[in-house]
Amino acid sequence: MGYIDFNGQQYEVDEDGFLADPTLWTRELAVFLAKNEEVELTDEHWKIIDYLVNYYKQFGIAPMVRKMVKDTGFSVEKIYELFPSGPGKGACKIAGIPKPTGCV
Amino acid sequence: MSRTDLGPPDYREMLPPIIKENYGQWQYHEYVQPGVMKHVSESGAELFTIRVGSPRLVSLDFIREICDLADTYCDGYLRFTSRHNVEFLLSKEENVQPLLDALKLKGYPVGGIGNAMSSMVHTQGWIHCHTPATDASGIVKAVMDDLFEHFTHMDLPARLRVALACCLNMCGAVHCSDIAILGIHRTVPRINHDRLSKVCEIPTVIASCPTAAIKPDPQKKSVKINEEKCMYCGNCFTMCPAMEIMDPVNDGIAILVGGKVSNARTGPMFSRLAIPFLPNNPPRWPEVVDAVHKIVEVWIADAQTGERVGEWINRIGWERFFDRTGIPFTDKHIDDYIFSVPTFRSTTNFKW
Repeated sequence: MGYIDFNGQQYEVDEDGFLADPTLWTRELAVFLAKNEEVELTDEHWKIIDYLVNYYKQFGIAPMVRKMVKDTGFSVEKIYELFPSGPGKGACKIAGIPKPTGCV
Repeated sequence: MSRTDLGPPDYREMLPPIIKENYGQWQYHEYVQPGVMKHVSESGAELFTIRVGSPRLVSLDFIREICDLADTYCDGYLRFTSRHNVEFLLSKEENVQPLLDALKLKGYPVGGIGNAMSSMVHTQGWIHCHTPATDASGIVKAVMDDLFEHFTHMDLPARLRVALACCLNMCGAVHCSDIAILGIHRTVPRINHDRLSKVCEIPTVIASCPTAAIKPDPQKKSVKINEEKCMYCGNCFTMCPAMEIMDPVNDGIAILVGGKVSNARTGPMFSRLAIPFLPNNPPRWPEVVDAVHKIVEVWIADAQTGERVGEWINRIGWERFFDRTGIPFTDKHIDDYIFSVPTFRSTTNFKW
């Protein structure tokens, strides 16, 4: 476990940079997290992030990739263009969703 | 950005010339001696293969050493088998004996071909994984030490495939091996209620349970486990880091027997439970080694030529298997999962 400093506050993150407590996530923090991923957030990025945040709020899980593609209208290729480390390690991390688990 | 999606290098670039020239034109092969094979092609070309056991988990120095051997005796060609043995591919017969001598000098075991025991397919264990109930490399070393003679000799009734998986995920081949060593838990996961909702997707955790023992606990923003229903598979821990299940005292090993994948003589079979629990006893796991040794000895004494462990058990029946191996039959052996009914005996045929 480590910490990141943002706006004079410390946020606990795990070894992969996922927020230890997703309830602390804010839009400002997302911008900061995106910088660590070397992503400059555009409207297209925000469309995916907002979608993930809302989906997680509603269902308590991250969406399947196919669901994400269908609902956002972005192809998997496009998602990788926007988030080079992928929908899990990239988009979910910036959206403050728990780290993907299982045999990844 | 660097190039991506290149795929692996084309295997044809790395074939020894003799294999390239005779690709798809092999006429027959024979076992020259334990661990040494000869393939003869239609053109009369002869390829000699020397199979060497490897511990699978190897250092770069080991790789460089076998590369040096391959450079000296095989024009730089070797391959790994699907049970992670090393095969040196020689086009010159006069190099066979010098390579065997060099391998002997280095202490590399030659064998694993024909009616012998080949290397054990195994997994990560305590070396690298976060969900194991036992170790992999340690037990493999202990068991292979004990059964070493069967690796270097072709003295068994049929092929003997032993596999190990360190948890019920069964990575590898334990579900279809003659003898399978499997790490199991025996206690209910411990829930970290404070952490759970932060690091886990609760619906995923609930859906991960094969016996539906997990329910949401909205008050705590967590989950609860019906301990009566839990059979300690650990699948929820795979999905959720806040459900630790590892228990150094109660974790251990189950032994399964009788699986096979080939269609020779009989169709493929799943391995089935023989010993429900043996303790973890590093570094040599004597209980596990003894149990495997005993089953192999009884099989060797009892099986007909060409009879795999599962075929032998099917012939003599499970009562006699338990009787002859001296393994006690307990309630743990009776399948009680969803699809268990066909595993019950629906006939009056049985041996006293």
